[in-house]
Amino acid sequence: MTETEVFMQQVIYGLSNGMIIALVALGYTMVYGIVELINFAHGDVFTLGGFLTLTIVGALGAAAIIDPANLGDSSHWLLLFALVIGAGIFCGGLNVAIDRVVYKPLRRAPKLTQLVAAIGVSFILVNLALFWGGAPMEVFGGGNAAAASKDFPELLEGRNLLGEDSNVVLRLEDVSIFIITIPLMIALTVFVKATRLGRGMRATAQNPVAAKLMGIDTDRVIAATFMIGGFLGGAASVMWSLYNNTISFQMGFRAGMDAFTAAVLGGIGSMPGAMVGGVLIGLIRAMSDQYIETRWTNVVVFGVLILILIFRPSGLLGLKQREKV
Amino acid sequence: MKLASARFALFSLGQLLVLGGLALLPVVDLVFPSLQFAAPSRTVIVFAIMALGLNIVVGWTGLLNLGIAAFTALGAYAFGILTCEIYPFQVGFWWGVLLAGAFGAFAGWLLGAPTLRLRGDYLAIVTLGFGEIVQDALKNLEAVTKGTQGINPLPAPTLPGLQFSSETHVRWFYLYLAILAVVVFLCRNLEFSRLGRQWFAVREDELAARCMAIEPDKAKLKAFAAGAALAAVSGALGASLLSSTGEPGNYDFQVSILALCIVIVGGIGSITGVLIGSIVMVGLNVILLPLLTQTLQRNGIGSTGNVLTSPDNYKYLLFGLALVLMMRYRPDGIIQTRKATRK
Amino acid sequence: MKIKLIRSAFVFTALLAPLVGVGGALAESTIKIVSSLPRTGSANAQTTSMVNGIKMAIADVGGKIGDATIVYEDWDDASPQRGNWDPAVEAANADKAISDELVLAYIGTYNSGASKISMPKLNAAGLVMVSPANTAPSLTKQGFGEQNEPAVYRPSGKISYFRVVPTDDVQGAVAADYAKDIGSKKVFVLNDREVYGKGVAAVFEKRAKDIGLEVVGTDGIDTKASNYKSIVTKIKQSGADLVYFGGTTQTNAGQLAKDIVSGGLKAKFMVPDGCYEQAFIEAAGSRALEGRAFITFGGEDPKKLQGKGKEFYESYKKTYGGEPEGYAVYGYEAAKVVLSAMERLSKAGTPLTRESVRAEVAKTKDFVGALGTWSFDENGDTTNRTMSVNGVKDGEFEELKVVK
Repeated sequence: MTETEVFMQQVIYGLSNGMIIALVALGYTMVYGIVELINFAHGDVFTLGGFLTLTIVGALGAAAIIDPANLGDSSHWLLLFALVIGAGIFCGGLNVAIDRVVYKPLRRAPKLTQLVAAIGVSFILVNLALFWGGAPMEVFGGGNAAAASKDFPELLEGRNLLGEDSNVVLRLEDVSIFIITIPLMIALTVFVKATRLGRGMRATAQNPVAAKLMGIDTDRVIAATFMIGGFLGGAASVMWSLYNNTISFQMGFRAGMDAFTAAVLGGIGSMPGAMVGGVLIGLIRAMSDQYIETRWTNVVVFGVLILILIFRPSGLLGLKQREKV
Repeated sequence: MKLASARFALFSLGQLLVLGGLALLPVVDLVFPSLQFAAPSRTVIVFAIMALGLNIVVGWTGLLNLGIAAFTALGAYAFGILTCEIYPFQVGFWWGVLLAGAFGAFAGWLLGAPTLRLRGDYLAIVTLGFGEIVQDALKNLEAVTKGTQGINPLPAPTLPGLQFSSETHVRWFYLYLAILAVVVFLCRNLEFSRLGRQWFAVREDELAARCMAIEPDKAKLKAFAAGAALAAVSGALGASLLSSTGEPGNYDFQVSILALCIVIVGGIGSITGVLIGSIVMVGLNVILLPLLTQTLQRNGIGSTGNVLTSPDNYKYLLFGLALVLMMRYRPDGIIQTRKATRK
Repeated sequence: MKIKLIRSAFVFTALLAPLVGVGGALAESTIKIVSSLPRTGSANAQTTSMVNGIKMAIADVGGKIGDATIVYEDWDDASPQRGNWDPAVEAANADKAISDELVLAYIGTYNSGASKISMPKLNAAGLVMVSPANTAPSLTKQGFGEQNEPAVYRPSGKISYFRVVPTDDVQGAVAADYAKDIGSKKVFVLNDREVYGKGVAAVFEKRAKDIGLEVVGTDGIDTKASNYKSIVTKIKQSGADLVYFGGTTQTNAGQLAKDIVSGGLKAKFMVPDGCYEQAFIEAAGSRALEGRAFITFGGEDPKKLQGKGKEFYESYKKTYGGEPEGYAVYGYEAAKVVLSAMERLSKAGTPLTRESVRAEVAKTKDFVGALGTWSFDENGDTTNRTMSVNGVKDGEFEELKVVK
């Protein structure tokens, strides 16, 4: 492989991984923007999305999906979209339910109390994912080893789009991430900018009390935010499972941490910031793996993060908060 | 009025009750030999010291720190390098603990100086990142830290004429309890000192504090350093307890989170609360959960192949439920301090 | 509020009381055997299998040694926050075992790092410890770790730690030799930056260099990363034809295997016994492993065990209704070797004490067990050096070569 090929390959991987991180990060940043809560459980909602996806895939029957002869068939794209929507609605609903049961009664409690409650929810969801891994299905290994990582079948054809002789590998998995995430992000931006509910969100983020006084149903706005944030997390979990071909009950931990980092890097509360932050972290990881050493990658990522924050204390695209007097 | 009289006592009533209660544990062990509380309770004490350090930063100064374990790790490794027989220093237990604390304070100052002007959650992610950086650096800098091998053996405490070992864990427990008492005493004095009041002022309203001629950056930096020092001391004490620094991975994000949970569950800002929080949260891990599964096993409910019928598989759930329920029904923690009310 | 607090303390104590009651008086002639293995988290499948093995060994002697009843306790050395072995819990387990005078044997640990914590404590107390899974050589042999190892784990000067698995200095070398046998020339060595994985990778690397393989790169992976596509690209650039990964299923070997395939890297993939479990095949998916993955293991495929091993395999399947994991037989053997030492003592009329049990276990010679006939050497290591190299076929391990 030539240096250019290597670089191009790393850009592809960095962007693909980064887009998934960005999708999860949006869930963090939106919720934070509205209720100022670092939703620690977001990563684990994402995990459950992955488990649901594998369950559906398993239930639809191994033969139809895993059979290489059927790969590349357009019905698989249909299935993929259906999974994204299914897992999205599931995770969105779950997120709203968690908010109702756990966070809402604590809305007026100190911020740290909410944070610890979110940590608690995170542990509960991890345990649920562990139980789910023990489901007596073939895709879960018959349920004998609940804690083990689960193999996620290939849903898209694994052929190299740049030709089998090319050293650079670009597969449908990589492309599918862009096909799914970019429209989602555009739709989200339009939604927040142009719809009534979106305007309500922005108003609530600015000042919840004033928004309420102006007649905005802030409870509805908050629920919608959790729904959308969860939806994006669910969509990300499908992409993640498809891309990595593995799910495990602990997969939300790293995804959540990366996404949280991305959200802060971009400026927490800022949606474009979360997208930029996610992609940037994906790229930094890939480049560090290649040009430094993978054992130093975490140090590089967080080192860059700290440096950026020292010079831009509100993140890349975050608004400078004015001191309230 | 109450405040003024409290100032002159060594400990508040609550602190005295908790420390006294802990002191009774070995007696409980004598009555119920099957329990064995004292030995694992040393771990509770180690975590309590770490959490008291975190309490200074989070509880009193209002800075969210998600990477306190980094300072614990630095303390443990400083202690290891200063005392282990494979390094040239071998300063012994007491100097090791003190120097580890000093090193922790220095590290806290080093991280804090450029980053403390960051607001709330931006600072949180910086501390989280620092935690990851320290962990990976300890793993990778093998020439200094022995990488993943961990540094061992490390000295047990020494006192003239007294031996500390696994067999004499009761003695060891009382020594750690005494150290905890000293730390509580120091924290209590800090709380009522000029500096302590500066911290509260900064937490409640930074701008107003500035108007009263307090320099928030300096006050924050001192809080950060003090918290880091205590975390480092706890790292040193924990390492001595294990006779090893363990792997760097043992000081990961989860440890920082546990410390944070201790502070919040116990009652943010309250020394007594933090002590109780440590007993509840760490006790759950090292005492109650093992006891519970053991009891279930004795009654024939052991681990089986099925995920749903093995008690071990419910531990995350129990831990998570405990956190959620405690926050739901005691949102300000077990001990609620009026001083720590927030806007 | 203070009163409320005291009240909660009482409630807490009241809740504990029934637990205490159950744990109360045990019969006079009771022997306790405990095991300390990670039961919470991802190693659970493997350790469940080992615990089953231990229980079978105890059932084999009818749960009794002479007149004394054996009580077995299955302790967890992991905690929910860590999802993995927790040093504080392992230390607490060791202390608990030491202070409970009925405990005469400690079976554990699973992770070599955990043994580093409990070994010196148990040794000082003279309590025998038999590990069914630790393979890091530095625990018992000089020259693999620091200057002060392994003396540091033996404060009493006596050998009290034994293991029934061959160590990684054997395993790493067998792996490198096999890599050469299958025609590899350039190898890339990765490790998971944990005690076990790093140790076995280092042995592999050294041996590979000694036998003339070119080591084109080394690195330590981040075990929590979501994928390893970028590092696979780097390996591709290096021109390696074999990737060795010192690590376990829990440290993400399955993901690495997949990314080698999806990244278009045509190299072979070799891993140590930490991956010799069904969970590895499940995690990686057999399509990523067939024909290109090689797994070394300190022993043989349970299905192919002979003699007592065969009996074990049959009886395991009958009792638990599933295939045993690779390490189940080691759990069984570890318990068995302790029990047979106790039986010898009991027959000779020697009272069972920690010291007598320790000394008798150390004397184990030409022991006919499920793993063949073997002895403990002067370091407490098994003389059994059977290693197998396995491939994957049709979703199951397939033994390719056995080295004795």
